[in-house]
This record gives sequence, structure tokens and C-alpha cells, in this order.
Amino acid sequence: MRKMWSALDKMPAPATTYERIVYRNPSEHHYMKVCLEFEDHGVGLNVAQFKQLLISALKDLFGEVAAALPLDVLTYEEKTLSAILRICSSGLVKLWSSLTLLGSYKGKKCAFRVIQVSPFLLALSGNSRELVLD
Amino acid sequence: MVRFKHRYLLCEVVSDDPRCRLSLEDRALGGLIRDTIARVHGTFGAASCSIGFAVRYLNAYTGIVLLRCRKEFYQLVCSALPFITYLENKGHRYPCFLNTLHVGGTIRTCQKFLIRYNRRQLLILLQNCTDEGEREAIQKSVTKSCLLEERSDEEELSDSGGEEAAEAME
Repeated sequence: MRKMWSALDKMPAPATTYERIVYRNPSEHHYMKVCLEFEDHGVGLNVAQFKQLLISALKDLFGEVAAALPLDVLTYEEKTLSAILRICSSGLVKLWSSLTLLGSYKGKKCAFRVIQVSPFLLALSGNSRELVLD
Repeated sequence: MVRFKHRYLLCEVVSDDPRCRLSLEDRALGGLIRDTIARVHGTFGAASCSIGFAVRYLNAYTGIVLLRCRKEFYQLVCSALPFITYLENKGHRYPCFLNTLHVGGTIRTCQKFLIRYNRRQLLILLQNCTDEGEREAIQKSVTKSCLLEERSDEEELSDSGGEEAAEAME
């Protein structure tokens, strides 16, 4: 009996291990709903020209490194010139600031209106700002 | 406590062409680096890096360049250096690349590193030496630098670091 107690004393107590995982932002992409407005109406862009405009805006402000960011145009409507973009979260600030500072396309004045930004694509389906209350 | 902190990048210009190093000029190199930063990092990079940017030291014989930039943006400069592929001088293009040897906070630390690096390079040159006359010359400079090293260890308290550093770098 005494032998058993001394053996138990010598055994090290099992250490309680726990792991703490903190997710600050589990989503690695950010989704932006944007709309391009021209000063004079009647200017049309197809989706390739639209993406070229975005890449050239990034390249102007942040160079080749930013122009190589994985940017996707998920949807595009040619009539309203609005689109949903996807960018990796580390490049969101660069994309948004280069959209803000974009002034013209082929000599014509234009501006980007950012309607919604969210790390979740589902959030872009409903916009409480456009709610019509009867 | 309130001062602008800098980072000093010690780089070496490596090229196949022996004329490339001799055509090194501080203003031309500074302009080339600024253009490369503008290409790689855009208007933002060009503006942020060129405020504290300067070419502090240039040695055309060994191809060593010491660049200074602000501490907050030294990573932009560092990441733009591999995009330099040629040096242009009087219409001639020499393909080369910049090898970053050391990043220091002050010129003094970069100088200390450069002295140790040059001593090691002398020993490597001695090993790869083929010509007898060259071998003698390199052995002489190695023994001279060893004597200078002993002397600097003895006189550690006195501030004669600048003179022997200049001698060792030649």
C-alpha cells in the first residue's frame, strides 16, 4: 500500500493543455458591389474593358505588384455599369483607394460609386439602404 | 527620441561585364532605382520611398552601393531591387543585378559589416587565385588587413575606427 502511494507521488500530474484559436476574419476574400458613373451618359464598356479599367487603376497607384492581385469580376451588368468584385482581404485597401482616385476612362470623366463591401458574398444580396418602406 | 529613423541597404552590383561596375554613377543609379520603385509600387511607392532616399556610398571598383531610405518604407525599396536588370550608361546597356548584403540602422553598422565581408572575400579570392603575381598581391593585402584587425582590437577604446575602415576598404 505504501509503495503504491509513493509511486503515484513520483508520477507527474497530467498537464491540462488547451488551445485557443482566434478567428479575426475567417473570410480570406472581400466582396464589393460597385457602380461606374460617367459624367456624360452614353458610354458603354464590356466586361473585359471594365476589368482592364480596374487593373489600370491599381497599376497607376500601387504599381505592378498590386496589378497582379487576384481580382475577380463576379457579375457585371452592362446597362447599369455595376459589378460585384472579389479581392483577397489583404488587397482590399489598395483596391478601394485606387477606385476612389480613378478619374477618367479614355479621356471621359468618370467615378466609381461603392455601394456595399462585405467579407461574405451572401450579405451583398440584401441592401438595407435600398429598402422601400410603404 | 523624435527623429527620422532610416535603414541603410548595403548592396553589391553583380555583372558578367567588367565595364558595368566602372560605369556606376550615384545620380544615374539613384534615378534608376527611383524609376524601378515607381514601376513596381506605383505612385504611392514612388512618393513614399523618394522622400528619404539617397545613395550614400558608391565604390566603382568593388561595386558596393549603400542606399538610405526611411524605416517605414524600406521594405518597398528592398522588394523593388530584384527588378533592376540592367544599368544604362551613355547609351550602353549592361545586364546586371543588385545583391543585398546587409540592412543596417546606421552607417556605422554597415561599415563594420563591410569590413568583415571584405576580409572574407579576400580569403575567398586567395583560394580561387590562379596567377602567381596576383596571389602575392592578395596575400600581402590579407596580412595587412590582419595586422589592422589586431591593431583595432588593441585600440578598441580610441575612436580610430574610421581611418582603418577606409584603409581596409581599399
